[in-house]
Amino acid sequence: MPDRGLEEVDDLCHQAASDAAMAILRKLPDLRGDSRFTTWACKFVMFEISTRLRRHAWRHRKIEPNEQVLDRLVDSALPALTRLEQTETLHFLQRAIRDDLTDRQRLIFQAAVLDEVPIDVLAERLDSTRGAIYKILHDARARLRRALARNEGKEERV
Amino acid sequence: MKRDPLEGLLGHTGRDPGCDAAFEQFDRYCDACLRGKDVEREFPEFMNHLRNCPGCREDAEGLLAALRQLDED
Repeated sequence: MPDRGLEEVDDLCHQAASDAAMAILRKLPDLRGDSRFTTWACKFVMFEISTRLRRHAWRHRKIEPNEQVLDRLVDSALPALTRLEQTETLHFLQRAIRDDLTDRQRLIFQAAVLDEVPIDVLAERLDSTRGAIYKILHDARARLRRALARNEGKEERV
Repeated sequence: MKRDPLEGLLGHTGRDPGCDAAFEQFDRYCDACLRGKDVEREFPEFMNHLRNCPGCREDAEGLLAALRQLDED
């Protein structure tokens, strides 16, 4: 009897190849010849397949706000800092994540950075796009860096 | 160069064009890698994005691996 999991992945890859072919045909008029055609075409295939496989791998996992995940921040290892600096900085970051980020920024930061949920998966669950989710993550990180810089009494380029 | 210990959490501080703009450069970046070019110098913002975005980093590594395989076949 065929393995159902392998069949699903096989189906996903066929769907991805089909969607990649459509994307290539749609984008063909924009082709500028800055790279080899094979390289240009393969990037669409890679994008479609990787997105589907990530979403498939995470399909049974819930993504929801979870305050407890912030507690893990202080336990995470940052070997370049001394233990004291690490603990103080991470406690400050914990507070900044709770107080300075919007609900959506907090959810995306928590999921993408602390829980390592792929951005493609977040985009699907939040009915958004990879680019839009990444922008929210980028803005959240910038806001936290600014808060950290203010706390340390120095200007920082974000 | 001293590495920012918080980079994993807060990302690299250099300019980051985001996923959509990075996608447009994937093919030129991969071709440059395959030709042995200095991609850090040619694609500084794209490289910042790869440092900050695990998804795009994986895609770039996967695309490079696939292209190397195609070149060998």
